[in-house]
Amino acid sequence: MSRPVITFENVSKEFKLSNLRVRSLQEMFVSMFNKEMRGKRRFWALDNVSFTINAGETVALVGTNGSGKSTALKLISRIIDPTLGTITISGRLSALLELGAGFHPDLSGRENIFLNGSILGLSRREMSQKLDAIIDFADIGEFIDVPIRNYSSGMQMRLGFSVAVHVDPQIILVDEVLAVGDHKFQQKCLKRIRKLQNEGVTILFVSHDFDDVRELCNRAIWLDHGVLQGDGDVNEVLGRIENTYESNGQAKPLLSSNKTEVELSKVEL
Amino acid sequence: MVTVERNDAVLVIAADQQLSMLSRFRYMIVSTIERLIDLWRYRELIRNLVVRDLKVRYRNSVLGIFWSLFNPILMMMVFTLVFTVMTPHFKVPNFPVFVLCAILPWNFFLASINGSIRSIVDNSSLVNKVYFPREILPISVVLANMVNFLIALIVLFAFILLLQIPFTPWVLLLPLVIAVQVTFTIGFGLIMATANVFYRDTQVIMEVVMMAWFFVTPIFYSLSILPNNYEILGMSFDVARWARILNPMASIIENYRITLYGIGQGGAPPDIYFFMRTLVTSLLVLFIGATIFYRHSRSFGEEV
Repeated sequence: MSRPVITFENVSKEFKLSNLRVRSLQEMFVSMFNKEMRGKRRFWALDNVSFTINAGETVALVGTNGSGKSTALKLISRIIDPTLGTITISGRLSALLELGAGFHPDLSGRENIFLNGSILGLSRREMSQKLDAIIDFADIGEFIDVPIRNYSSGMQMRLGFSVAVHVDPQIILVDEVLAVGDHKFQQKCLKRIRKLQNEGVTILFVSHDFDDVRELCNRAIWLDHGVLQGDGDVNEVLGRIENTYESNGQAKPLLSSNKTEVELSKVEL
Repeated sequence: MVTVERNDAVLVIAADQQLSMLSRFRYMIVSTIERLIDLWRYRELIRNLVVRDLKVRYRNSVLGIFWSLFNPILMMMVFTLVFTVMTPHFKVPNFPVFVLCAILPWNFFLASINGSIRSIVDNSSLVNKVYFPREILPISVVLANMVNFLIALIVLFAFILLLQIPFTPWVLLLPLVIAVQVTFTIGFGLIMATANVFYRDTQVIMEVVMMAWFFVTPIFYSLSILPNNYEILGMSFDVARWARILNPMASIIENYRITLYGIGQGGAPPDIYFFMRTLVTSLLVLFIGATIFYRHSRSFGEEV
């Protein structure tokens, strides 16, 4: 069971702030004459991070906002490339970076299931076999043939989650998604994630909810300002984070275990 | 340089590779093959995006997909009214067919380019969140417009039958002409889509460029009316020849017109070298477009 599925070797990711800003020819001309704007401002979202995640592990990625968690997930899901270092991935990956990414508001739930399945790389036949299970889990009922724009936000989330967990992933990236939906659906998601755990799926889990993290994961990777601060037993790492904040006399921003304060970082309708 | 290698279902993404010239070349060939395999693996997505495009376009309209048929008919009625009733000295035999076999491919090209330019930026929510070969977005735009174009061709064939313009065996060349146009359109669309990610001005500039392009392309006139020697600064220019060389769309549209209209009117069959030149130009544009797109598409996730 200790086959490595995700390996980061000295991975760094640099973002050029100037690149992020110059968007039009006009701004480019302005920046040619304005030296201050031309300055190459950069920052390292990840700085020399190395870790290995083995098959079947459930690992939590923890840290405050801007610590590089999302950058790490985007690197794993091939949305962005590393500036330095090597990433090795083996196995089919399903990323829950944003539930229902790629849903089209004018298409029905059923049409969107097939569209979403093909975005994740599945054939129509494979999706047809899973269709009933997906609709059933999402609990959409007769709304399945209604355009998505008439769905409530909760229904869209449920459908998105349902598609993502039904595509037989070997690796699953979960970014904050448990914070959405009502309590009943959250419990259903947790149950589903536990089922995936038992099936040997590798799970990388981002959450600010330490209770959820302790319940689901046995290992935690702690990132702070792009630097790896800790990697090990979940209770030990989370304990160290809590100690750090207490000894600094700071409040624990977004690290509270109070469920109502969980931050929704990836909700877009 | 970032390299991506796949072996035994293991994906290795390595940054900062110092590659020699030879291994860079080898990597280029291997990655091209891998991208083509990737494209094939995602064929279902291409299909779904094309279907999505067509469905969304006609959703909430009463006539639905039939608009693809009615649109050219209505367009035709306007042109016929303007160019035969209102300006009777504008004498071109079977004018509806003359103009339709040029304007339909042009509209296909125009809609494809306008769609491709915006394809990456408009789908930023997808590009930001999921990996898939990015070239699928412009390609599916072109293919959706091609479906539309093929439906509109039915109208053209109806007019050809109605006006009793004889079909010749040359009409069998039509699929090849369409293939050449699709090749050129995808190639050019890839370049424009990339440019628009980095400079959003592209889509604004291209509105003007496409209008100018429309007028220098022989749609409402035939290439043969362009002068063969035009004196500028004491030098003589073969305008008709340069219009063809500099503008691949002129050649493509002329090819449509020769196969569907010209021969039936007693014109000469297409020159095979002329055909081959257009094909080579289109392949070259596709190669350049794909190279530019591949080089930059890996950073689309950060840019949009």
